[in-house]
Amino acid sequence: MNEIALSAIIRNLLEGAAWTLGLSLTAFVLGGIAGLILLFARIAKNPLPRRLAQAYIEVFQGTPLLMQLFIIFFGGSLIGLEVSPWIAAALGLTLFTSAYLGEIWRGCVESVPKGQWEASASLALTHVEQMRHVILPQALRIAIAPTVGFSVQVVKGTAVTSIIGFVELTKTGSMLANATFQPFLVFGLVALGYFALCYPLSAYSRVLERKIHGSRAH
Amino acid sequence: MALVHIDALHKHFGSNHVLKGIDLDIEEGQVIALIGRSGSGKSTLLRTINGLESFDEGRIEVDGERIHPHETDLRALRQKVGMVFQQFNLFPHLSAGQNVMLATRIVKKMPEQDAVDLAKAMLLKVGLQDKFDAYPDQLSGGQQQRVAIARALAMQPRVLLCDEITSALDPELVNEVLAVVRNLAAEGITLIMVTHEMRFAREVGDKLVFMYQGRIHESGDPQTLFANPQTPELASFIGSIN
Repeated sequence: MNEIALSAIIRNLLEGAAWTLGLSLTAFVLGGIAGLILLFARIAKNPLPRRLAQAYIEVFQGTPLLMQLFIIFFGGSLIGLEVSPWIAAALGLTLFTSAYLGEIWRGCVESVPKGQWEASASLALTHVEQMRHVILPQALRIAIAPTVGFSVQVVKGTAVTSIIGFVELTKTGSMLANATFQPFLVFGLVALGYFALCYPLSAYSRVLERKIHGSRAH
Repeated sequence: MALVHIDALHKHFGSNHVLKGIDLDIEEGQVIALIGRSGSGKSTLLRTINGLESFDEGRIEVDGERIHPHETDLRALRQKVGMVFQQFNLFPHLSAGQNVMLATRIVKKMPEQDAVDLAKAMLLKVGLQDKFDAYPDQLSGGQQQRVAIARALAMQPRVLLCDEITSALDPELVNEVLAVVRNLAAEGITLIMVTHEMRFAREVGDKLVFMYQGRIHESGDPQTLFANPQTPELASFIGSIN
């Protein structure tokens, strides 16, 4: 049987990690944009966008990510659309991310005290002006920690896409484990890879939180 | 023509009829003290005057600006009516100066330098000229409330609404805020205040309005009313306060 050198294992895993990172970034950026739209729909005065956004959020939070990926991946081919694992993975994770970010951010907006709305309303600001100058700057400060915290969930969530055949870190790891018969070593390295991606994120969130909190004291 | 004209105003919170036909005229320069037990409708009445509460029937006119029931476009009205809240409600992410400038910059589109000058003048008026760059969490409650007054005044409102503005303050900080209000009254600003400071209401108020169960139960000159209440409800209210 062929010996696969450790260096080759690591090289392959790094390549897989790059795809994990790429998928996470795509899902986070696109999911963030969609999440922002969901946020505004959720806090709109008109009940129609509010209900639509709520239904969307409930569907994506109430079903497993894996099922969402299966439905996109297999459902596409059912209606004659060729959906590549990359497209299915990116689309699935984007929808998943947007549902959570939209809801996290709504919580942050709603945690700004009612008196802030009343005070800015009494100064004749419009709804959009209130959001832009009074509510969002305060919500942003509250949102940083949970948002970056959730980005860690997105990175770890990408592992599920290995099941529909997207070759990211976990999929690379299982292929290497099968080829080398060294699952403990390989998956140990895979875990290390996820930790290396996630730890800086949570450390960065702590720095940001301190920075933005300190910035109003001078 | 009265500056604030309230006519047959009714409001319900669900099945609770909180304002049962309020008629009230307020002349320019008058200081009105709204008093009454909690739940009597006095804060709700105050909040309908700048549209923070909607109402079901009746009409309100402020300086010719008519508010209809369930009106949503209140921008013009709110430029004429300033408000100061019990909990100050300063914007915590902005300095005192920026709090005072925000609406003049955004709503009145005032040039930056003019807005800064005006904000400084308003802070001077409330005795906080050296706190322009201080953030709300660096100020005492009394100072925060004075910034809130300066913020409302910067919009040069025709009427200033004060909703129990000393109730959240430690006792030793009440007087510095009342002193500012006393000066405003002396300048001739039209003030409508919901207050529990009876001595202050008596001293500064031109007209006392006693609310009881959603109606104006008694109103008139503060000195006369305090000395000689016409209804047992007002007598018992005055008695319970002193």
